[in-house]
Amino acid sequence: MNAITAEKIVLAFIGCVTFLIVALLFLILGIMFLKGLPSLHGGFLFEESKDFGRAGGVFYQLAGTLILMAGAVLWSLPVALGSVLFQTEYLRAEKFKTFLTQLTYILNATPTILFGLVGYLFFGVYMDTGVSWVTGSLILAVMILPTLQVSIREAVETLPEKYREAGMALGLSRATQIWRIILPQSFYGLVTGVLLGLARAAGETAAIMFTATTFSGIQFPQSFSDPVPTLQTHILVLAQEAANPESIAQAWGAGLVLLGLVFLLTLAAWSFRTRLVMESEL
Amino acid sequence: MRRYVWGVTGLVLFFTMAFSSFTVAGPGMRITIAGSTTVLPVASRSAQKFMESSSIRILVNAGGSGVGIHSVAGGRVDIGMASREVSPDESKRFEKSNLKIHPVGIDAVACAISSEVYDAGVRQLTPQEIADIYLGKIRNWKEVKGPDRQIVVVDKERHRGTRHVFMQYIFGNALQRTPGALLVTGSNNEEQAKIAQSDSAIGMLSFAWLNDDVKAVALVDRGKEILPTWEMVRQGSYPIVRKLNFITAGEPENEVKAFIDFVKGPEGQKIVEESGYIPLGSSQP
Amino acid sequence: MKADFRRGGAWFAEPLVWVFAGMNFIFLGCAVGLGIFLVVESVPVLRAEGLGFWSGENWWERFGALPMICGSLIVTGMAVFLVLPVALSGALFTSEFLPPSFRRRVKGIMELLAGVPGIIYGLLGVSFLTTGIKHAFNLLDGNTLFTAGVLLAIMILPMVLTLSEDALHSVPSEFREAAESLGLTKLQTALRVVLPQSLPGIVGAVLLGTGRAMGETVAVLLVVGSLDRVPGFNLFVSGQTIPSKLGREAAEALGSGLHWSALMGLGLTLFLLVAVLTFSGNLFFRRSRQ
Repeated sequence: MNAITAEKIVLAFIGCVTFLIVALLFLILGIMFLKGLPSLHGGFLFEESKDFGRAGGVFYQLAGTLILMAGAVLWSLPVALGSVLFQTEYLRAEKFKTFLTQLTYILNATPTILFGLVGYLFFGVYMDTGVSWVTGSLILAVMILPTLQVSIREAVETLPEKYREAGMALGLSRATQIWRIILPQSFYGLVTGVLLGLARAAGETAAIMFTATTFSGIQFPQSFSDPVPTLQTHILVLAQEAANPESIAQAWGAGLVLLGLVFLLTLAAWSFRTRLVMESEL
Repeated sequence: MRRYVWGVTGLVLFFTMAFSSFTVAGPGMRITIAGSTTVLPVASRSAQKFMESSSIRILVNAGGSGVGIHSVAGGRVDIGMASREVSPDESKRFEKSNLKIHPVGIDAVACAISSEVYDAGVRQLTPQEIADIYLGKIRNWKEVKGPDRQIVVVDKERHRGTRHVFMQYIFGNALQRTPGALLVTGSNNEEQAKIAQSDSAIGMLSFAWLNDDVKAVALVDRGKEILPTWEMVRQGSYPIVRKLNFITAGEPENEVKAFIDFVKGPEGQKIVEESGYIPLGSSQP
Repeated sequence: MKADFRRGGAWFAEPLVWVFAGMNFIFLGCAVGLGIFLVVESVPVLRAEGLGFWSGENWWERFGALPMICGSLIVTGMAVFLVLPVALSGALFTSEFLPPSFRRRVKGIMELLAGVPGIIYGLLGVSFLTTGIKHAFNLLDGNTLFTAGVLLAIMILPMVLTLSEDALHSVPSEFREAAESLGLTKLQTALRVVLPQSLPGIVGAVLLGTGRAMGETVAVLLVVGSLDRVPGFNLFVSGQTIPSKLGREAAEALGSGLHWSALMGLGLTLFLLVAVLTFSGNLFFRRSRQ
């Protein structure tokens, strides 16, 4: 066969592969919907779970996941914001800056179970917060720190120089410049980072499964030392009863809810990110 | 901007609602329980019943007998659940914790096999045969009068109560190594799932977890066949029996004592029976 | 160049600086502290076992991590081996042959899927993959290293694809135009010009995907079989990776004791492995940007 035919075959092949990849991933989503939807009876999101999770809904699990997420962003945002601003506005030593950037990457790639282990030791034992939603939020906060930092840094660094020059020309102090110019202009990047961080925290199981959660007995936490039920650990426990159709059905339902939450947050983050891009191109 | 404000307001409202139940009283009104998945249904259902007439909150978590003992010794929980005794090694390690054991029920451990193997005729095994299976010396069901299929040997995590008790009976050593194992599972639920999913598995399971897909074999001891039934357990003939224990560090006080007394009392014992176990005092140990 | 804000007088007299510096210090503390804690907590077990910690096979009476290390390397290696040709084909096709609208959609789907939580993959694995592989390969049981490898491959596929696609697409158009003017077809251009140029970026993408696969806990925990054994050449047996071991035993050993130290030692090993991978990955990425 000649070269042109050979090429067409190769092209068709990799085209097929690409199509299959997309199809596979759609299939996965499809399976999740097919299996999860039947479990999502009317009150699923608002009922509490019954019979060791084999019946009922996931209201308190969803609440627990949301509480951990919100707590994580609460602790993480100031640190991320402060550290990025410090690095971009005040730090001059290039080597130190590169070092800090490397640290961000390493923290980002660290296996999350390690956050759970060390986090329990540091927060749970040394700072005596025990196994609680506070410990969980703190651990998740450290985990999503790089996610927030990357987004904020991108927003601050792509800010056109003319804004800063204008500030200088007006004789503003640096603090004022940061407060009135840089922060408002990088708002969208900040929100993108927060939403991505929330999405990441929502899906995290390993870091919280022995540091922040309980399977039963708690509805809403009533003190700072209470653990919480979460969607992720709920699914984990049910997944281990793979032979029981009721458990698995509940697991699928909870999984669909979790997936929906993560997708919602990711899509929201994107919509903000496009606005960021549009702003910086003005 | 307005959407942003609404979003934040919504979040604030959500959290106000969530945290509105924060009491000033704090965690003193709370009992934490963790450990054996065998004891867990008893603790969980009793907790539900107990909380109907009390303002105390009771948290129940799984993890396994080892986790239960370790957690209560480390002061992380108020009650540790264990489906076995505290091992000599653990007693030594946790000497300072002054562990006290409170039995709340009785359970038996079955040598469980996949229903397909059971239906094909394997109804009994000798302890020696079981030992050889777990050591990897017997690999096919046909060697024990079963179908021609390789045996899927399901083992459990080392600290699990069910494993300790089972291994103690089969090998005389609670921490016996089992080179013939193919898989390792954790909770009773996981073990049950793996045996049910396979069609040639063998494992160790509490009586309460047996079902249509997971059947128990009779044990043959000194030529006599011992059926795996509650009858046999009550008569004292079935050899693999254990107490379901609540373990505390030191003597229990106040709410913890009240709860343990509740479980040991008539209402609690009814729950023990409903959960598939034997109440205290109805068999000879 | 960046506008310089120094207006005379010490910049560190502003109170805001101290707040920000403090935040940066916290961040620094977190990152460095993680590593330090792992090292410090591992000392007891390393003192008890010495180098035998990494070479020992026995996690019963002693603490030998070899089965877990082998398991991690094998499962991750398998995942990368499976993902590489598939992701690369997909990335190549998307970058070089798809019209922009389709390309955006494919990238969008990939990035969305890259954020799917590990527990979801675990659920899929337990429900479909274990039984599927068991029947497809006529195995005794579907909870094997192979299963974990396949699951991880599916999990990192979106991420590796989209990052490789970025690398390919960022090759300047001059290269393609030059190739075209020399008479090369689109495919030849793609394979002989664009691909080699983007190699550092692709390697970086693969290394980052490897890092993620190596660190995944719950998905692997549910399907790998959890048997502490150094695998031979047969991948269709159950095994154990470092994260799955940690996931199973963390609750038991929590907080103190030699067992805890052993788990921290495992954690340290994992941390070092992933750090090396990430560091190299970023090195390649940065070189690709030049």
